[in-house]
Amino acid sequence: MDKKNQDIWVGMAHKNNDPALVEAAGKEFVELPIIEALSDDKIAEVPANRRDFLKYLGFGLGAATIAAGCDVPVKRAIPYVTKPDEIVPGVATYYASSFVKGGDYCAVLVKTREGRPIKIEGNVLSPLTKGGTSARAQASVLELYDVNRVKNPGAVGENGVVTKMSWADLDKTIGGKLNASSNIRIVTNTVLSPTAKKAFAEFIVKYPNAKVVTYDPISASGMLEANERSFGDRVIPDYHFDKASTIVSFGADFLGTWISPIEYASAYAKGRKINPKRPKMSRHIQVESGMSLTGSNADNRVLIRPSEMGAAIATLYSALGGSVSAPKLNNKATAAISKVAEQLRGSRGNSLVVSASNNVMEQIMVNKINEMLGNLGSTITFTHASLQRQGIDSEIQGLISEMQGGGVDAVMVLDANPAFDLYNSDKFITAFAKVPLKVSLSYDLNETMALCDYTAPNHHFLESWGDAEPKRGHLSIIQPTISPLFPTRQAEASLLVWSGSANYKASAEQPYYEYLKTSWNGFFGQQSNYASFRSFWDEALHDGVAKLGISEREYGTVAATVNIGQITSPSNAEVEIAFLESINIGAGQYANNPWLMEMPDPVTRTSWGNYLGVPVSFDGAHSFVGYKGIGQSMVKGYADVVNLTRAGAEEGDRITAFPQFGQPEGSVATNLGYGRKICGGAGRNVGTNMFPYLSADANGNTQYFATNVAVSDIVDINYDFPCVQYHHTLGVTAKNEAGETINADEAALVDFTYGVVDQGYQGSLTNRSVIYHTNINELSEFTKELGHKREEAQALNAQSLYPGHEYLYENGHHWGMYVDLNACTGCSACTVACMAENNVPVVGAKEVSRHHEMTWLRIDRYFYGDVESPNTVYQPMMCQHCDNAPCENVCPVAATNHSSEGLNQMAYNRCVGTRYCANNCPYKVRRFNWLDYTTADIFPANQIDLNEEEIPYGADNLTRMVLNPDVTVRSRGVIEKCSFCVQRIQEGKLTAKREARKLRDQDVKTACQTACPTGAIVFGDLNNKEGELHKSLDHNPLVYIALEEINVLSSVNYTAVVNNRDEALDA
Amino acid sequence: MSAIVSPVRKPLITGSKSYHDITEDLISPTEKTPNVLWVVTFLLSITTLGFGLFCIAWTVWNGIGTWNLNRTIGWGWDITNFVWWIGIGHAGTLISAILLLFRQKWRTGVNRAAEAMTIFAVICAALFPGIHVGRAWVVFYFFPYPNTRGPLWVNFNSPLLWDLFAISTYFTVSLLFWYTGLVPDFATVRDRATGIRKSIYSFLSFGWTGSAKHWQRWESLSLVLAGLATPLVLSVHTIVSFDFATSVIPGWHTTIFPPYFVAGAIFSGFAMVLTLMIITRKVLGLEDYITIEHVESMNKVILVTGTMVGVAYLTELFIAWYSGYVYEQFAFFNRALGPYWWSYFGMMFCNVLSPQFFWSKKIRRSITWTFFLSIVVNIGMWFERFVIIATTLARDYLPSSWSYYTPTWVEIGIYLGTIGLFFTLYLGFTRVAPVVAVAEVKSILKTAGDQYTGPNAHKHAHGHVGDHGAGASVDIDENPDTKIK
Repeated sequence: MDKKNQDIWVGMAHKNNDPALVEAAGKEFVELPIIEALSDDKIAEVPANRRDFLKYLGFGLGAATIAAGCDVPVKRAIPYVTKPDEIVPGVATYYASSFVKGGDYCAVLVKTREGRPIKIEGNVLSPLTKGGTSARAQASVLELYDVNRVKNPGAVGENGVVTKMSWADLDKTIGGKLNASSNIRIVTNTVLSPTAKKAFAEFIVKYPNAKVVTYDPISASGMLEANERSFGDRVIPDYHFDKASTIVSFGADFLGTWISPIEYASAYAKGRKINPKRPKMSRHIQVESGMSLTGSNADNRVLIRPSEMGAAIATLYSALGGSVSAPKLNNKATAAISKVAEQLRGSRGNSLVVSASNNVMEQIMVNKINEMLGNLGSTITFTHASLQRQGIDSEIQGLISEMQGGGVDAVMVLDANPAFDLYNSDKFITAFAKVPLKVSLSYDLNETMALCDYTAPNHHFLESWGDAEPKRGHLSIIQPTISPLFPTRQAEASLLVWSGSANYKASAEQPYYEYLKTSWNGFFGQQSNYASFRSFWDEALHDGVAKLGISEREYGTVAATVNIGQITSPSNAEVEIAFLESINIGAGQYANNPWLMEMPDPVTRTSWGNYLGVPVSFDGAHSFVGYKGIGQSMVKGYADVVNLTRAGAEEGDRITAFPQFGQPEGSVATNLGYGRKICGGAGRNVGTNMFPYLSADANGNTQYFATNVAVSDIVDINYDFPCVQYHHTLGVTAKNEAGETINADEAALVDFTYGVVDQGYQGSLTNRSVIYHTNINELSEFTKELGHKREEAQALNAQSLYPGHEYLYENGHHWGMYVDLNACTGCSACTVACMAENNVPVVGAKEVSRHHEMTWLRIDRYFYGDVESPNTVYQPMMCQHCDNAPCENVCPVAATNHSSEGLNQMAYNRCVGTRYCANNCPYKVRRFNWLDYTTADIFPANQIDLNEEEIPYGADNLTRMVLNPDVTVRSRGVIEKCSFCVQRIQEGKLTAKREARKLRDQDVKTACQTACPTGAIVFGDLNNKEGELHKSLDHNPLVYIALEEINVLSSVNYTAVVNNRDEALDA
Repeated sequence: MSAIVSPVRKPLITGSKSYHDITEDLISPTEKTPNVLWVVTFLLSITTLGFGLFCIAWTVWNGIGTWNLNRTIGWGWDITNFVWWIGIGHAGTLISAILLLFRQKWRTGVNRAAEAMTIFAVICAALFPGIHVGRAWVVFYFFPYPNTRGPLWVNFNSPLLWDLFAISTYFTVSLLFWYTGLVPDFATVRDRATGIRKSIYSFLSFGWTGSAKHWQRWESLSLVLAGLATPLVLSVHTIVSFDFATSVIPGWHTTIFPPYFVAGAIFSGFAMVLTLMIITRKVLGLEDYITIEHVESMNKVILVTGTMVGVAYLTELFIAWYSGYVYEQFAFFNRALGPYWWSYFGMMFCNVLSPQFFWSKKIRRSITWTFFLSIVVNIGMWFERFVIIATTLARDYLPSSWSYYTPTWVEIGIYLGTIGLFFTLYLGFTRVAPVVAVAEVKSILKTAGDQYTGPNAHKHAHGHVGDHGAGASVDIDENPDTKIK
């Protein structure tokens, strides 16, 4: 010890410099007796005593518990070594691109997170789609992560099994089999890309005998040929539905599937949204033979059998003064069409007649009709004519006979599937077999690909560079948002490589990008907005779209003459069948998309298949009677099965049938596109293939109906009928036995009668405050009545046992929504957008049939009016975020509760799953995870790479890439529901906070809102008096709250539906 | 209690029993080897129970998706069974508590079994809230226990939570009441037993000596528990009815539910007591203790409560019409005429029409008829709960969401399993405890035994009639079984 310190001491031992203490002070660590004892060497030799045993037992148990309780660390996350500029973890990046599949087109923004595309949004800069999307565009992102994609180039074996080859080997093999004189055919559906066409041209330069054969599975070839003959221009005209005050459509489903539904829906809705102060809306008359989405939105439907389409057009043509004698049409339709003609005459120059007929002469008549009505140049223009259908049916038919004759050396099939989607696919298949070299350039596994010798798989559009010209002068860019997931190659690039093009520099880092840019150099000259190519290209890439200056092209007269002999003549068959393109899966090209399969068909509310819609009538007493008694015994999940046979076929198809309101007598209808045989797991053997039922007319154009069919009596019952809505109607009227008009719904609700006792409940179904509808002529009366009803409900709701507990959200935000039912067409883009945004699981056909579907946003469909030709209303239904929510107070564990901003929120972790909230929800929007739909609970699925194994859908790592990382994936046993896209609200608030500003109106938009092509959904802050939401609601006498009188204080407002039905047409 | 016995009242204990006879008759079933019938029934019950357990395991392992409930109908057989079992449990408490307070002597013949039935029925019922949830492994969230999840508490607004408290309280009080009654009887069993049985029953009887002080305390405790249990009889099913009545769903949201549920519960409870008693008295030969008088009394209760629920049903219909509210009108229209009309018809027939047979004294006193009708009533009350739960949910406000519901084998299996559980417990109970309260029966022997009040009354001279209070009437000197040690 230091001497200086001697006068300060701690204890006697210190003062006396006790040697033990000195020794201890020299050590860094004080040794406690226990450490000494433990460090004693002998301790190991002592046999364990009872205490030790307990110690070890305790330690062992504790250690085992901790070890078992710990998560095994997931080691896959690798941080960026050099962080890419545009990627900020947790922040989404958007790229402008275009969704293109065949002729389907949508300008989109692709939302990517950490370099992974997860969501499609509409591109508001597009003058065509104006920010709207379709269900198909929304679902396209899932295809990128399809486990059944063709993942490698190679030789194709049985059922599309690919034997891997390298690209170099494949190029060598294919190059070796082609020579300068080879007769090569490139088979495609409509190609919108001008650059791809340049690539085709280069290919043809190298192989002068090569030809491109374009066809469309749902063809507009009759129309293209008619327009060529009428105007000398083989295009689809530019239709202006917004400018038309009378719209007559002969079977054209322009809101659902026909040509460019997103564009048309947006324009159509302009004429349908109603301003109650100046009530005016277009009148839409649909002449059709199956209930299409467009037909269901029409004011009046004129029902015809499918073979009467030509006759109906001719009847209108002659009623307008055309000098033809129309074939006989059914009396009701004839009378209706002559009245339609009057109305059309009354709106000369601002009417529009369209037709989906694939008969050239019928389309020429339609052109003549539009000419007579002065629509050419006003509602129908040609400068920006649509290029979205380019296929000519006779070309593919010609190819079949060419192949049959052995005159084709090689066929390259680019994203087309003629082995499935032709009416004579069987002929195609036999002829195709004779071709020595068959190469598939398809991105996915399909029937045609399986017949090919080699596959050179294309990229998904989210991995590709490209462009599109959906309408003349309107260009659109496709840019990749992720590196190719598999060793695939752009189809155009493959063709350029095989043609040895000098313009394609394969050694470049992104050769097709260079090629595209060069191609766009050509477009630069056609515009005048940008001075340099650089700025033109950069702007186009940024905006996703570009407009070219093109020369005006208008036609005032129709050059062709009408030959009535060439139209379809009505048949006398007992029953005819109409085929509609499926809104969900098109002609089968979207069949392998589980989101689209699961999305209920907007009209029939069925999913996972195509079903036979049969006409239904009221028996005058207690039931709706379907054709041949079909649907009589329909309860949840059950439906009748019939045999559908066609003349000449060996055996019929067993198909599930259901009664469809609005189906004309003597006809049945179903969707095309189902019944794929070689396809990914989701689409394989789902539904019935209807293509073999089709036929072609004298010009070789495919006709989408059949008269040589027979529908058997009920042969069986389908116990797994995936239909999400069983009750169809809300106020359908019919004649009773005494001839009085009665409320048929309510009469039909009686399953059992006790005699006179069951009278006197009239109104219990139709007076529901769920849907309000009126005719435009009764608008002022109706708004008064609606006002009274709302006042009464509000007065009752103001009575409270607990005054002073009003639910007010005066401070901060109060989120709310407005849904304009007059603008909603039922297209279901929002449904799929919601599934994509919120990781809503897909449950499959069996579970849907058990009413276990998980959709957070559904579109309820109700029919009202005359039983034979009712009107339809679509009501998007999602959580109403009630401020006095009945679900919240019943939850025993407070798992669902209310935010200070009026949101009804779910704490999934807290949910025990009593389902009381779902029972107590008046809107039935809560969804329960009945089974492990997301496979989140399968332990192995979370731990090892399972890509090669048979595992449930969604459990593989590839499909999981589509999940939105901002939204929890729910486990089995918890309730979930619409959150008003709370993650978007949060993102908007954080952005505003970071930018040190207030949240602006429309900073936050929900997924359903951005998906909607017609702007039917407005989300916003009810407290923002300047906001768009407030503007939509303020002083709008059509606005109502569903079930207002039960005082749940819902935050979602609807508008009453106004139709422009002309009762005179029904007579 | 006064000793005045009305000559018009029929004796409650027949066969001129002495105290010793009573002990022999009632204790001996616990001492003998069970007969074949018991063994067969027990095996059957335990097999059914096993299947039920399998179905529960299946549900927990695979999810509630193994049931046929759906997005519209969130509760089906699960909650139907829950309410049904809870209802059945009501008779026991009613008999033991309310009838005790009202000094109804006939209760002594049936109260033990009825209380046991209550406990077992509540056990069966309590199963359902635990297994019907999506995540059975976090069911402890229901309990307001101190936790580390921040200020996260249960939701005291939720009727499901009220249910939890109501049922657990009810179960606790019922169990205490039942056990309290068993203590002197266990002592009697102990006194007759030897070996290991003696030790067990010594433990179970808590050192009961039969001293006057014991009897006095026992009386007081019974009275206190009766006082506690009486409001519970009314409150439990009232609160169960809140599960529905506080909701916004038309057909559930009605103020009539509390009295209607309580009446229904007593109705079904008595029916179940009858079903059980008729079998028990036959199998164990207890016809002298559970007499036609008992059966008739209970049939009267069934007639009254059955008519009460009938009035409730009609009131509901009237109010639906009178309210002028379309949803309410439709809910009842749909119940009666919609796709579930058969269950409504079944409910009306079984619950309202079938008890009306009991206006006839002959039927009221017929064992066969009573047994048959008690089963019918049990079925009817099951239908009532099904009608309220499933048919209401199937079609509510939005026609788009209407659905239909039929159970899967798993749901049926679980229901059968609870019946198996119930009978397993009951059969076990008949083997270990006297199914008739020995001490209590003895207490009324001199006021309601037929040698004192019935046709044999004058054959047995007896001096003590009327000198005792209710609980103190066991004459130790005359009872060779209860010896003071």
